[in-house]
Amino acid sequence: MSIMEINGGSVIAMVGKECVAIACDLRLGNQALTIATNFEKIFPVTDRLYLGLPGLATDVATLRERFRFRVNMYTIKEEREITPETFARLVSSTLYEKRFGPYFVEPVIAGLSPVPSASGKPEKWEPFIAATDLIGCLNFAKDFVVAGTSSDKLFGVAEGLWEPDLEWEDLFETISQTLMNAVDRDAFSGWGGIVHIITPDKVITRTLKARMD
Amino acid sequence: MECSFALTGNGYVLVASDTTAARSIVKMKTDEDKTKVLGPHLVMTYSGEPGDTVQFAEFVERNLRLHQIRHHQALRPQSAASWIRRALADSLRSRSPYAVNLLVGGFDTSVAAIREETEAVGGEPKLYWIDYLGTMAEVPFAAHGYGSYFALSLLDRYHNPQASLDEGIATLRRCIDEVSKRLIVAPSNYKVRVVDKDGVREVEL
Amino acid sequence: MARRYDSRTTIFSPDGHLYQIEYAMEAISHAGTVLGVLAKDGVVLAAEKKVTGKLLDLSAASTGGFGGSGEKIFMLNTNVVAGVAGLTADANSLVNYARQAAQQHLFRYNEDIPVEQLAQRLCDLKQGYTQYGGLRPFGVSLLYAGWDPHYQFQLYHSDPSGNYSGWKATCIGANNGTAQSLLKQEYKDDITMEDAIGLVMRTMSKTMDSTTLGSEKLEFATLTIDPKTKTPLAKIYRPAEVDALLKKHDLAKKDEDTEMKAA
Repeated sequence: MSIMEINGGSVIAMVGKECVAIACDLRLGNQALTIATNFEKIFPVTDRLYLGLPGLATDVATLRERFRFRVNMYTIKEEREITPETFARLVSSTLYEKRFGPYFVEPVIAGLSPVPSASGKPEKWEPFIAATDLIGCLNFAKDFVVAGTSSDKLFGVAEGLWEPDLEWEDLFETISQTLMNAVDRDAFSGWGGIVHIITPDKVITRTLKARMD
Repeated sequence: MECSFALTGNGYVLVASDTTAARSIVKMKTDEDKTKVLGPHLVMTYSGEPGDTVQFAEFVERNLRLHQIRHHQALRPQSAASWIRRALADSLRSRSPYAVNLLVGGFDTSVAAIREETEAVGGEPKLYWIDYLGTMAEVPFAAHGYGSYFALSLLDRYHNPQASLDEGIATLRRCIDEVSKRLIVAPSNYKVRVVDKDGVREVEL
Repeated sequence: MARRYDSRTTIFSPDGHLYQIEYAMEAISHAGTVLGVLAKDGVVLAAEKKVTGKLLDLSAASTGGFGGSGEKIFMLNTNVVAGVAGLTADANSLVNYARQAAQQHLFRYNEDIPVEQLAQRLCDLKQGYTQYGGLRPFGVSLLYAGWDPHYQFQLYHSDPSGNYSGWKATCIGANNGTAQSLLKQEYKDDITMEDAIGLVMRTMSKTMDSTTLGSEKLEFATLTIDPKTKTPLAKIYRPAEVDALLKKHDLAKKDEDTEMKAA
């Protein structure tokens, strides 16, 4: 049994038109036994940036806390929020630090990145998604990224359902259907899901009911 | 084989641990207390590698006591559980990791836990499932050991977060009885403790 | 007499003084005033800025960051703001230490650091310089305004010796004696935020040297509970907001002397 599959769980992120979506399942297992069905794997980093951490649950918690430490210090010292691009580098270097004894997680990053404008305040936002492997090799994608025990299934469904420039309502439907149909074919993921849609002026968070078996 | 159960109810958390100390296939003792009272509103069951269990439980106990003496207040259940989890997570990647599984039950009496729905019972019951890897989950009910394969499905059916203490104890009895009935290597005795607004106390089954 | 016992921080004089520590405290009593008042539903901090000048670039303060000009009032954590009096460079170092300590606590216990524990962490550091030789003590006093679930709203003061204490209302820096007697007269238990802000503004205007107040001389912050999220909400006022507040309390400058108004 692979370390990456002890606790189970999956995360997916998708790009829409001036918005991004990131979603995860809620299962925490111990091999085939389900321990909890309220285990969220996606954490807010800033108002417009979220981080998904599927993998070994002990490392999910530890990394979440390490990133919170680093981002809080960055925010309070720089007196501004970290951008998705900068945060992706932070994730990458934090994981590579442990190259020969890695954290067993495959992070997914989704957020809106500010486009510089003349006034100084960002008026336009560009979608940003990225994923890394467990030692921090970054993969920037233009469409969607997947990770976790049902990543192969997620790839298949997402490939069929995703299309460019979806408005946020349609993106919500697309990512929800992708997640639910993929995790239903995976014994280690599922038991409900949670979806965050990040738009320039608000974040919409919805929980999904799914097959509970 | 080692079994521990825990469940939350209306204003309390119940934790139970078997009392068997075994070496290989031999029962050495059937009155070993494998629970630890960690503070005025915090209790923990521990199981796993013999030797590691007592060492780690006492390490936690002394550190939380020191914190309480230094700062004149006990850590809240959430903070204590997070600290314990980190201790195990750090230990996992050390030269000699502790192999200990825990159920941490607590009752949060601070103002942050007092809301409209928790005011009547004087706070909020908290329960954490923690394993030797440092995996932690906040759950309404939990179990470790072979008993978990029987108890969790029973608790899925019978657990009620609004149950009175008597109803909670009855549900716990169901779990213990089921394990006794179906598990070949079922333990004979259990130590049961409850934590609520008045603190931690032992319950006779 | 004193000459022989004040060159090092860690040597007692025969009559039992640590002169360097007392000199540090003396230096602070000439620094810009910092004032704090504890209300039943929040805490108020105000600080006097001494360094001003026409050529000082304040553009970053009016838009960026957490508000304020980052000279006297600092955010230490989501639940604590602090006002500093004394050497600015020493203060920056302490503020950085406090922020690190707060994040370490969050990392270890997954909760915001209790206000008293944060004050204690800084005091442990400051105390070290009264005992271990070779270095000079921090020439900084701080006021901490914070909230935690153990004691709710709190106001603490710490000095260069490493002493700290909790207060309902207090003042450090220049004219702190005058301010404290004013606060003693006017403070009432169960004071509301609205009244506390008024009290701070009035006391500030009486203790500061200049006759009229403006955002280029004053920093201001409040700590309350966000009614929606029920979590602590620290707010360091921007220059424009400070001016608006002064105007509201009728303490703003008259029109004829507005040449230094912030952009």
